Amino acid sequence: MDLKRRDFLKVVGLGAAGSMLPGCGGETAKLIPYVLPDEEIVPGVANWYASVCRECEAGCGIIVRVMEGRARKIEGNPDHPLNRGKLCALGQASLQGLYNPDRIRGPLQRDGERGEGRFKPIPWEEAMSRWVSALQKHPGGAVLISRPVPGTLAGLFSTFMKEISGTVFFYEPSAERPLRAANRKSFGIDFLPDYDLANTTYLLSFGAPFLSHWLSPVHFGAAYGRMRQGRPEVRGRFVQVEPRLSLTAASADRWVPIRPGTEGLLAVAIGRLILEEGRTNLPRGDRSRFEKFYASFSIDRIANETGVAEEEIVRLAREFYTAASPLAIGGGIASEQTNGTDTLVAINALNLLVGNINRPGGIRFFRPSDFPASSAEVVGEQALLDLKGPSKKASRSVLMLYQANPLYTLPPSTQFRQVFEEADLVVSFSPFLDESTAMADLILPDHFFLESWGDHVTEGIAPAAGLAQPVVIPRYDTRPVGDLFLGAANRFGGGVKERLSWTDYRTMVREQWRDFFDRRQPGQPFEAAWVEALQKGGWWKPEGKPVSISQRGAPSAAEPARFEGSEKEFPFYFYPFPSMGLHYGQGANRPWLQELPDPMTTVVWGSWVEINPKTAQEYGLAERDLVRVISPYGEIEAPVVYFPGNPPDLISVPIGQGHRAYGRYAEGRGVNPLALLAPLIDAPSGALATGATRVRIERTGRKGRPVLVDQTGQGTRRHTEGGEGEA
Amino acid sequence: MRKWVGVLLALLVIGVAIIWGALYAQSTADFMGHDRQPIAFSHQRHAGELQIDCLFCHRGARISPVASVPSVYLCMTCHRSLKEQTPETEKLLAYWNDKEPIPWVRLQRLPDFVQFTHEMHLDAGFQCADCHGEVERMSQTPRAATFEMGWCIDCHERNGASLDCFTCHY
Ligand code: SF4
Repeated sequence: MDLKRRDFLKVVGLGAAGSMLPGCGGETAKLIPYVLPDEEIVPGVANWYASVCRECEAGCGIIVRVMEGRARKIEGNPDHPLNRGKLCALGQASLQGLYNPDRIRGPLQRDGERGEGRFKPIPWEEAMSRWVSALQKHPGGAVLISRPVPGTLAGLFSTFMKEISGTVFFYEPSAERPLRAANRKSFGIDFLPDYDLANTTYLLSFGAPFLSHWLSPVHFGAAYGRMRQGRPEVRGRFVQVEPRLSLTAASADRWVPIRPGTEGLLAVAIGRLILEEGRTNLPRGDRSRFEKFYASFSIDRIANETGVAEEEIVRLAREFYTAASPLAIGGGIASEQTNGTDTLVAINALNLLVGNINRPGGIRFFRPSDFPASSAEVVGEQALLDLKGPSKKASRSVLMLYQANPLYTLPPSTQFRQVFEEADLVVSFSPFLDESTAMADLILPDHFFLESWGDHVTEGIAPAAGLAQPVVIPRYDTRPVGDLFLGAANRFGGGVKERLSWTDYRTMVREQWRDFFDRRQPGQPFEAAWVEALQKGGWWKPEGKPVSISQRGAPSAAEPARFEGSEKEFPFYFYPFPSMGLHYGQGANRPWLQELPDPMTTVVWGSWVEINPKTAQEYGLAERDLVRVISPYGEIEAPVVYFPGNPPDLISVPIGQGHRAYGRYAEGRGVNPLALLAPLIDAPSGALATGATRVRIERTGRKGRPVLVDQTGQGTRRHTEGGEGEA
Repeated sequence: MRKWVGVLLALLVIGVAIIWGALYAQSTADFMGHDRQPIAFSHQRHAGELQIDCLFCHRGARISPVASVPSVYLCMTCHRSLKEQTPETEKLLAYWNDKEPIPWVRLQRLPDFVQFTHEMHLDAGFQCADCHGEVERMSQTPRAATFEMGWCIDCHERNGASLDCFTCHY
């Protein structure tokens, strides 16, 4: 026995010593010289390249630090008017997209049943001909669902699909469709405005999550900083109206909780008071239409429906109309309802009433730069759902996906999966194997954006077009999606080949910029301007001239939102919110973003259910208990985190986790709250009403293991124990 | 029997400590008596007999934090026109013909938390030999100094250079 023990120890000792040897010794670094020196590269000295961030739809300017041909660090481009040198966490983490171990490394074809997720490599040539011949076999039947790519790529996609009589949908769950629809109704303008937060003195926000993920978060974050601290004479005041205490609400001077879906009514009450107290700047001609609409609402009824006290409503109205430059904005939970567009129209009306359009501190409309072929309308979920069914377009046809993941972002209740099942061929150009790409028959992977040419036309804010250049040599056997479409056009021949005759996408981008510069400054040598644009990261004007609005639309309806699920059976409102780091799930395969603590709860690497501590205790739920959240359409299980910022009748869960595919960091982690949603739509905008499903909760009796960075949980617990848990 | 186990454990602990220590020293500053390079390159021959300036090959030193090793192409600018080859220069030609870089073994290495730049030290008027020794007299290239913090600080003190932590650790 003793002998054996000694032997054992010896072996362990040797093992321990041995395991350390290669650990350090093996790395005895090698100095690998270049075989041929590269003129532009000095080892140890960084090259910085300007490009455009494509991690969300904003398109901030970036500069990338490249050493010995490797991208090492990304910073904001100090010249770019959108972000002025700043960058958000997603932008920082995009390096982990470039170096992600789960990138698709070459063309693949399905091996096994569709959706099984098994693939085998296929040569590029064969992949291309399979794709193109499928397109040729289905004249007029092809559908491309792409993320919005405002710029040359949008032009290429649109032209290609038009020429082959197919359809292209630019789709993105956070596209703020209701805002566009509302602006069309209120102002007669089709593009997104700039909200001049920096010069606002009183900001009244109805749920707009502009400090976490709304429209252009870096831009608004910086503007917000200037509003609060950038002016010596005034610190802008900021009131956030929303049911749940979001990160943005937590930064406000005052948070006004409100019943979900009644934000528009509150705006109507405020509007009525502004008119009543004679504080409107509205031209006389327009006034009667507004008066007529407001006449049928009474403040006390609205107070009743919204849950906001009458004195509070009066106070909000007075603060708003007495401010030097007031601004009302709406978004997030306020617009993600079945009455989202109407709500935003009612909020827009407040701006019309005080007349802050195209004034400093108000709403300004800058026409996007006249960059060629940049405008392509972004669609809402309804447009995609219309693809369903045997008589509809996508069936027995070719379905193509470019960096859109509808099988994750659309709730199963919409049965969008049908579109995949009915398609003859599903082709994806995604660099990652996300849920939708896993359903593909053919994967023709695009480069990562840091390896590609491209451009991005900024909407709203200021006239700007960012120019993206490859900052590193492509790591894998991938091809730029632009080249693929140009190549396909070439194989097609005929009209589409004629319209898209560029040899490669880089040339196409360059030619678009040549046209653009030629039109702006005829006769100027292009080469110098092109090089300057590459160095600077694009083209922009410091400040555009705002365009005047063509109409002043009064609100036309202020119905409370509809909710799916009876109040008796499903007593809770349910709000899935885009998580700060993972957004609508795109960030889930980047470890840096997974370990970014949620700003309100400090949770990392997982899902959680936010419940008001009082409610939780009523249900006998301790923090970290696994709770089942059930809607009429599905159920999820996740650990409870006490969240005093929720009203007692609202349950919230972050979006972003719960991937069934998308690589090792994302897969099988947490739950996807979108799975619970009813297929309710805000009709005027066609956007999914994310906040319109009711739920109930059930104890599971089991414990979960959420990781809270703030392990002491002091903040939350103090509230609970002191009995201040009620929101 | 129990005594034996005790002794054995003690020996084990000491052994592990020694190996650990040696490895620790090695990982912060590489320690190798002599280099075992893929090609027996001689600084004595190149820098001494042929009087090639250090910076001719280590081109990065003037303009970069790292001194850098010459590209194979740079070696070949001379070696391509040599008539007589030795077994060692044949190896060089083989790398060149295969378009392969030479995997030189790295002798000097500072840990990641130290920021050192050659450029600044040359700008301040130092010679390569001040730190690296008289390589022109060495056929194989050992380390001339420890390159540990005490050694840096000594020199910084003697020359009145900054002693702030953030000078090198940032
Ligand atoms: S907001 Fe962030 S993710 Fe979006 S473009 Fe800017 S840096 Fe990139």
